[in-house]
Amino acid sequence: MVQKMISKEKISDLIKELQKEFKVFGPVKEEGVVLFKEITDAKEICLDYSNSKIPAKSVLFPMIDTLFSYKKEGKGVKIIENPPYEKTVIFGIRPCDSMGFSLFKNFFSFGKYKDPHVLNRLKNITIIGMGCLEPRTTCFCTSVNGGPFNKESVDVLITEFKDNYYLESITDKGEALIKKIKSITDADKGDLAKIEKLQKDIESAIPVIEGLVSIYTKLDGLFDHPMWKMESQGCIGCGACTYLCPTCHCFDVLEENKQDGSGRRIRIWDTCQFPLFTLETSGHNPRTTKLPRVRQRIYHKFNYYPKNYNIIGCVGCGRCIINCPVSSDIRNIFLSVENMSFKTEG
Amino acid sequence: MVINIIDDIEKSIRETAKKLLEEKKVDLIIGYTKGSIPLRSGPCFITDASQTDMLVWNQSCDLNLAKYLAKNDNRKIGIISKGCVGRAIVHLIVEKQLNKENITIIGIPCEGVLNRAKIMVEIGDKEIIEANIEDNKIIIKGKDFNKTLPLQDYINQLCITCHYKIPPIFDIIIGNKKPEKPPKDDFKDLNEIESKSSNDKIEYFKKELNRCIRCYACREACPMCYCSLCFIDQNKPVWFGKTADISDNFIFHMIRAFHVAGRCVSCGTCSSVCPIGIDLNFITRKLEKIVKERFDFESGINLAAPPPMGTHKFDDKQEFMIEED
Ligand code: SF4
Ligand code: SF4
Ligand code: SF4
Ligand code: SF4
Repeated sequence: MVQKMISKEKISDLIKELQKEFKVFGPVKEEGVVLFKEITDAKEICLDYSNSKIPAKSVLFPMIDTLFSYKKEGKGVKIIENPPYEKTVIFGIRPCDSMGFSLFKNFFSFGKYKDPHVLNRLKNITIIGMGCLEPRTTCFCTSVNGGPFNKESVDVLITEFKDNYYLESITDKGEALIKKIKSITDADKGDLAKIEKLQKDIESAIPVIEGLVSIYTKLDGLFDHPMWKMESQGCIGCGACTYLCPTCHCFDVLEENKQDGSGRRIRIWDTCQFPLFTLETSGHNPRTTKLPRVRQRIYHKFNYYPKNYNIIGCVGCGRCIINCPVSSDIRNIFLSVENMSFKTEG
Repeated sequence: MVINIIDDIEKSIRETAKKLLEEKKVDLIIGYTKGSIPLRSGPCFITDASQTDMLVWNQSCDLNLAKYLAKNDNRKIGIISKGCVGRAIVHLIVEKQLNKENITIIGIPCEGVLNRAKIMVEIGDKEIIEANIEDNKIIIKGKDFNKTLPLQDYINQLCITCHYKIPPIFDIIIGNKKPEKPPKDDFKDLNEIESKSSNDKIEYFKKELNRCIRCYACREACPMCYCSLCFIDQNKPVWFGKTADISDNFIFHMIRAFHVAGRCVSCGTCSSVCPIGIDLNFITRKLEKIVKERFDFESGINLAAPPPMGTHKFDDKQEFMIEED
């Protein structure tokens, strides 16, 4: 482990140095909305943010992802592969969102099929995460095996302390990276103990939802419970909770043809909350109403994921709570599940 | 004090709902309840008279509850209706999408809802821990900041110009507001955008619509978007692009605008629910103006008035029809 520091004012120097070797993505504020974009000017980066509106999954799994392009040539078609993915740094991502990347890794490499796009990106991405000094009241990362300074899924973890940023390498990749950077200096040893305490204090202040990691066992018996009717009646079936979720990864594959015979095959975000998502070619739709769609979101994250991949499909970022147009709160569903289970047990 | 008036209404809403349920005049009350974070509210569905204390009424009640009514719903429903909820019900009846018999409209006077997106831009990305409205001010508290904003500047644009604070028809009315004769709408608020050059207009549209992530919250929350298969979802064959690319976004929003022209009831819900804070009011307000000027029509006001897009008159203006030779 290597520990380094840089004064806050000099952060642009660090970004500029990274840009020499990497494409750097970081949080940027546009019209009041924080999202991850490629940083072209180091001054654009916005580090004074709680968490981005659109999660950094948009770097790994873009809203519009070209799978390949093509051009008709005579009677044949010429396939044009994407240019190789460049070495990339994601700077300033929160630890919850980078946990989401582990889910992508699982999903896109599970079984026989390996998704070259996501996996290639993952291989080329170095994650410089930034700890959360001010978790929001909607955050529950510590209830789902995460934490505001969780090191599990970052290569380097930055913690803001007084006038400086402290950098700690977590993986070999991270260590190799920060050893190369000239604008950072060795960490002030005197501060390190204080930082550790600060991290612990912030982490322990987040309320814990007991039993969330094992909620899948309770969900097993609740598939047909009337609670789903209650929980789904207000839902309008939009894409806000899933599109803005750092772990949701469903997609639709489309073809875009131009009149000149060229085109591309793309994949765009899709969601289990839309009726079309499950519409089969035969015309049959296994999820015709809101109820099974709302239930699917919860079961996928809290039952199927733990059972299939031994990982929880939610990192506790709270975005679905903040962005739901009808103020549906996933934490209330957890409470209902707890209560229901107690009733069946008692 | 705004807050006092609103408190009284809340109390009467609860009492009225309780009585209706107890007397079995309705099976279900649809109203607003507190959201789990400040400045938010959600819908609530109450069948048990003991639960009517869940009902709230304040300036974060931005949804158009008419969205939750359906023609094939046989329950007797009492619906808490601010002006635009009432307008939506009227227009849905006109379009033969609802039967009035099973619906009890509980009218309430509305002071306008907050433009949350504008508030969020103002306070930056900080979390709001508490928000209150007092003396025409919005008082916001966060972990390490306090902010007071003038209420008037943060009311939804469509609410400022709204002339129908109470529903045009109702079974019960709460509060002592009498239906007023609406003043003439001068659409002055559109001057700024209308006076822009074509280039500046397109730049403005681009700036707003470029950010759309195609979550369709606007469509799903709109009481007038009830098609069982939206044009944008047509896939046999595909009619329009579904990506969040600016050109596809443009098509989606412009065609949706055509589809709600003369039907939109100016509730502003589409803007309020947008998670990205895109201002769709600029589209709906313009629609309102065009429909008023061309057809002298306002949607959701009169049960007997035929909707302009569903009727044809020989003197309809058609100067835009150009004959090609
Ligand atoms: S389900 Fe909600 S809280 Fe969990 S990761 Fe997704 S958006 Fe965040
Ligand atoms: S964001 Fe809310 S309304 Fe939209 S699909 Fe999710 S739960 Fe339903
Ligand atoms: S288009 Fe917007 S303002 Fe008009 S009725 Fe629909 S939700 Fe309301
Ligand atoms: S709610 Fe906003 S982001 Fe979602 S589709 Fe409508 S305009 Fe786009």
